[in-house]
Amino acid sequence: MSYAIETRGLGRVLGKGFELRDVNLNVPTGSIYGFLGANGSGKTSTIRCLMGLLKASAGSIRVLGAEVPQQLPSALVRVGYVPEKLHLFEKLTVEEMIRFHSVAFEARWDAERGEALRREFRLRPDTKIQRLSKGEAGKLMMLLALAQRPELLILDEPTDGLDPVVRRDVLSAVLDYVADAGATVFISSHLVFELERICDWVGVLDAGTIVAELPMQVFKDGLKRLRVASAPAQLPDAPFVVLGRHTTLGSVEEWVVRGWNPSMQQWFDGASCELRDVIDLDLEEGFVELLRAARRREEGR
Amino acid sequence: MFDRIDPRSPIPLYSQIANAVRGAVAAGELRAGDGLPSVRALAAELRVNPATVVQAYRELETEMLIDMRQGAGTFVREVPPERHTAERRREFRQRVRQLLDDAARLGLTATDVAEILRDETTRGRS
Repeated sequence: MSYAIETRGLGRVLGKGFELRDVNLNVPTGSIYGFLGANGSGKTSTIRCLMGLLKASAGSIRVLGAEVPQQLPSALVRVGYVPEKLHLFEKLTVEEMIRFHSVAFEARWDAERGEALRREFRLRPDTKIQRLSKGEAGKLMMLLALAQRPELLILDEPTDGLDPVVRRDVLSAVLDYVADAGATVFISSHLVFELERICDWVGVLDAGTIVAELPMQVFKDGLKRLRVASAPAQLPDAPFVVLGRHTTLGSVEEWVVRGWNPSMQQWFDGASCELRDVIDLDLEEGFVELLRAARRREEGR
Repeated sequence: MFDRIDPRSPIPLYSQIANAVRGAVAAGELRAGDGLPSVRALAAELRVNPATVVQAYRELETEMLIDMRQGAGTFVREVPPERHTAERRREFRQRVRQLLDDAARLGLTATDVAEILRDETTRGRS
């Protein structure tokens, strides 16, 4: 498998007691990769390292095969980047901003797509950037990123703070582009539900470290809530990972597990406890439980 | 037709999309020669990964239910009427299986289930 983004042991101190530590990302070429994490988990800093805007103090980074930062300039023209804090020139009009951006990409620039998106997003060419609403500015940034025909789109919380209608428009435009051009998308968000139907890979970052990276379907298939009667205190030989245990009414416990598959029901035949039910979790519940478990492990150190 | 697509369901999205098409064909909403939305349009509309739509369409193509013509679009194929009946039965059977799981969870026996089913079908007719 080839990777559009690959990091090995990426590290960087970000503040007092907060650092990126041993971040290993493997973003398959052609995938839509959801980069999940709570606010403040280090998503934006990781992305800034990928884009050469923040220098990593440890490890290596490859973006579209180019080593970052040494070979980045050659790859940058093939990367569409929508940062969390939009960089647009306040004094320019929409049309001027588009023209300014198009010059930097010369032959790659797809003027037709740019114009189609401008109409679709209902952006007037003569509006000054400073007069755009937050939603309109977000749409303009997306237009600029898509019309440069990127092989890789890096989107940092592209829908954060936008209303539902704008969120839909923006995501639909991204998917339309992907269907057309087959690009790789690396999209960070704390809005887990939004990524559930889009992504085929997920990476979960917590407190500066990757706690899970796997295909979305595997992640979803393996996450279950089990209802277990007369559960023992210790489970030394369980074939799945217990992320959390909660007692419910009576003697029944609820376990949230990872790495589940149906054949594991047999394990309960030999164990002293009894499996009552297997309940599916959605991505958001799974994500929350995964983070809770990671934090408990961290505190236990 | 794709209103019931639910990303939170444990059934993979591509199966849900394929099932929606199967259901619409079985119910006669889609007839032979009718066009399906392009991969691009359906992905953007449902806000799902285009690869997911491709996977659904490929599955339906393998079943000879649809025909993906390069450049022209995707169309429903001629399907013998027996297959519609088979398809309706297949879909209903799936729902019955889910119901039986629920029944087992509630501790009901096969006799209980059969009795309730008989009650309900006679009630529906009167």
